Amino acid sequence: MIRIAAVGDVHLDEEMSGQYRAQLGTLADDADVLLLAGDLTKHGTASEGRVVAEEFRDVGVPVIAVLGNHDYHSDEADKITELMRAEGITVLEGEGVTLDCPGGRLGVAGTKGFGGGFAGKAAPEFGEPELKEFVRHGRDLAARYATALTGLDADVRVGLTHYSPVKDTLAGEPPEIYLMLGSYLLAEALDDAGAALGIHGHAHAGVECGMTPGGVRVRNVALPVLRRTYGLYSLEVPGED
Amino acid sequence: MSAQEPQYLATHLREALAADPRTAEMGVRVRVHGDDVYLSGEVACAERRERILQVARELVPDRRVHDELSIAHVGGRPEEERLS
Ligand SMILES: [Fe+2]
Ligand SMILES: [Fe+2]
Repeated sequence: MIRIAAVGDVHLDEEMSGQYRAQLGTLADDADVLLLAGDLTKHGTASEGRVVAEEFRDVGVPVIAVLGNHDYHSDEADKITELMRAEGITVLEGEGVTLDCPGGRLGVAGTKGFGGGFAGKAAPEFGEPELKEFVRHGRDLAARYATALTGLDADVRVGLTHYSPVKDTLAGEPPEIYLMLGSYLLAEALDDAGAALGIHGHAHAGVECGMTPGGVRVRNVALPVLRRTYGLYSLEVPGED
Repeated sequence: MSAQEPQYLATHLREALAADPRTAEMGVRVRVHGDDVYLSGEVACAERRERILQVARELVPDRRVHDELSIAHVGGRPEEERLS
């Protein structure tokens, strides 16, 4: 088994420093890796990024993160990424990483992802340049994510995004904003790569469990949804009994 | 903030609480009944709750702001889910 801990939308700022970290005492006993599903800061400032880097450094297991929309708010996402990497945290955007866990080889590919909507209700790349730009951003990120996922040389592939790949986990969010909450292209990437699990955040009012059309399990690990320090998922490694 | 219709005021206030750098809180629900404004939803800590109330009172000084916010409790050892 490979054991994954995951959480998103911790939305840390200076005054929350140390609070979340204080809950991570049993993390290394519980899991092989911690995945962070974006929206790690409140306003995306470098100073909040420093809090994030401190909060998740040396937690006893490798930490793999993507950023969320909040982390881009102050145009300091590069600095936040740099601060996190300096503390040994892997930050993915359209890339993948593999880890040798006791149960097998885990591959994780990640992207922030973007909105765009879901099959049948997705925004078309048509009309005003602003709308086309919106749709194109989502497509570009999803395409790179798909390539990174398929390229993972691992026993088990896991996809990590901030935006949601499916509608299932958005139940509770107003349908009018689904377009802003995720994109079916992220689910297609999970299905094409035969991933074992898709982790996302962003949908604070959604639910935890969902599934892609191809049957890949999806978990919304936004902290307000989980209401626990992290979600903990153990994955069977093919060929293992 | 001087929207006449309660539903516009509620929406404006909700957006202002999200946009104001002192609060930046997306999860606050706002209901308006006459001169009364009710804030509900979960926030991370007591300081944040106070700040949201303070900012809301500043934004609608001519209304009564009621605190129905709660503080999210996060903790306890998570249960494992086996996906097979
Ligand atoms: Fe968030
Ligand atoms: Fe988000």
